[in-house]
Amino acid sequence: MKLLIVEDEKILSDSIVSYMRHENFTCETASGFSEAVEKIELFDYDCILLDINLQDGNGLDLLKEIKANNKMDGVLIISARNSLSDKITGLTLGADDYLPKPFHLSELSARVAAIIRRRNFGGSNILRFNELSIDLQAKAVFVNGKLVELTRKEYQLLLYFTYNKGRVVSKNAIAEHLWGDEMGGAANYDFIYTHIKNLRRKLMDSGSEDYIQSVYGMGYKFTAS
Amino acid sequence: MKLYTKYSRVNLVATILVLVAGSICYYFIVRYALLRQLDNTLKVEEAEILDFVKNKGRLPEPANYNDQLIRFKPTEFPVRRRFRSISLYDQTEKEKDPYRTLIFPISVQGQNYEVSVSKSQAEKEDLLVLIVVITTGVVILLLLLQFLANRFLLRKIWHPFYGTLGSLWEFNLTKKQPIPYHPSDIDEFNELDNAVHQMTDKIFQDYETLKSFADNASHEMQTPLAIIISKLDLLIQDQNLEEKHVRQLQAMYDAVGRLSKLNQSLLLLTKIENNQFVHTERIGLSELVDEKLIQLEELVEARKLKLAFDKHETGVQMNSYLADILLNNLLINAIRYNVDKGSIRISLTPNQIKVSNTGLPLAFQPDTIFDRFKKGNYSDGTGLGLAIVKQICDKYNFGLSYHFEEPMHVFTVRF
Repeated sequence: MKLLIVEDEKILSDSIVSYMRHENFTCETASGFSEAVEKIELFDYDCILLDINLQDGNGLDLLKEIKANNKMDGVLIISARNSLSDKITGLTLGADDYLPKPFHLSELSARVAAIIRRRNFGGSNILRFNELSIDLQAKAVFVNGKLVELTRKEYQLLLYFTYNKGRVVSKNAIAEHLWGDEMGGAANYDFIYTHIKNLRRKLMDSGSEDYIQSVYGMGYKFTAS
Repeated sequence: MKLYTKYSRVNLVATILVLVAGSICYYFIVRYALLRQLDNTLKVEEAEILDFVKNKGRLPEPANYNDQLIRFKPTEFPVRRRFRSISLYDQTEKEKDPYRTLIFPISVQGQNYEVSVSKSQAEKEDLLVLIVVITTGVVILLLLLQFLANRFLLRKIWHPFYGTLGSLWEFNLTKKQPIPYHPSDIDEFNELDNAVHQMTDKIFQDYETLKSFADNASHEMQTPLAIIISKLDLLIQDQNLEEKHVRQLQAMYDAVGRLSKLNQSLLLLTKIENNQFVHTERIGLSELVDEKLIQLEELVEARKLKLAFDKHETGVQMNSYLADILLNNLLINAIRYNVDKGSIRISLTPNQIKVSNTGLPLAFQPDTIFDRFKKGNYSDGTGLGLAIVKQICDKYNFGLSYHFEEPMHVFTVRF
């Protein structure tokens, strides 16, 4: 899978590259408008992460360029300007998703994975991980073909973990993913523990291995080992 | 006291004083002049009598005519020449009349006489009365004119001033409506109008600068925040982390989370102020509350709160995003500042929504509860949640109030 990260803040694009590299992604970066145009014309990417506010141009113009060239690349807009109009313009111009700064890398990774999945597999898609299979269409989870009854939040949680396989996901990122911005800054994330406990129990009861590890109580890791 | 009331009051007193003093002076001066004239007539009479005695060597006949009396009285004593004002009884009119008399000595063939020549003052007194009447008339006329001038002319002259004043009262910084011009032919009022315009233009300008500064500052903070969060996300991937590091990382995570929440809240406030949420639709509040309660279910359960929701089909016309934020902030507030095993009651009627929760007493004045950054000591919130609620209510002219109804904190929004 190939990613292009168009972001003029080098430290941030470095972070994204180190995080995404884990998951079979080849990452390239462009720090400005012209460099991005060049790369987009030369190569095909599975997904382009596009910062709207570039030093030498507007990311939305770049988006128009991509769409005008009939490129099939998926586009995720990342913007410091969390404005509704930017979001609507971006999505109207053909972007797949819009992620306002600041974001957790695990959130970014999940969004990118979702975009690539939608583009590559069309409508029906099943996500497999050993004995687990997740039907994204039906929002159902199976262990060895047997349906596991999960609540909506537990399902979202599992999906989030599979998009961040092998990496530690912080409780803060999980809370924000499941409950949105409104929950940010909540006093404690104890209720997340309850959720994870329930999810693990349900999966293991259905015959799955225990893939979810707690990391020092600050986060969780979904891993096969 | 109104300026022209004050002014007319001073003016009135001054006018009356001047006119009264003037009338008194006038009275005495005229009286003196009339008396002098009368005295001169009497002197002429005296000269005629002296002349007569000198030529004829005898007294003239005493004569009474034209209000003039001449009398001779033989006397042994020396007579001093003098003028006197006296009252004499008038036979025909049967009343006392004022007279002016000149008394002088005359000697005829060795016999001394006291001569008195009197002339009626009645006409002169009448003249004085007339003068007083006219003066009083003038005073009354002047006062009447002043009153009418105040009433009609001044009102018209002051009209632009009151126009400017009214606009100042209605001035609202956030509505961005410039103050209309109130042209006048009075220089001072025009100057005032211009000064007011210059001032409000400056205020609008400064306000815009300040707002765009806050907006830009908040936006500029997003990227550094994104960098910090991304570095933390990478740091926790490190397999060699120790427990003690993790605790510190968690504190950093929480702090940066709060910071970014704070930033988002400030941006939201600015956006509402800037009227960036224009689109409105009919929002079914009952459904929205249900939706929110599902979303916040885990939080309610975590604190073991008892929840009661009095439903009613209620629709309000507003922006859907803001409706979401409004309910969210009210509910989060009711959960966050509750006590464990406490309760939350939501009651929805066609005209209002009431969110009540148990909780510790407020650590600050209740009327400041919707102020920005107002929060209790034990709070870990941003202090902006209720300020945002207030801002949204203000935008839609909803009534927002808080009161404590033992043992519940009650927040009411009236549509």
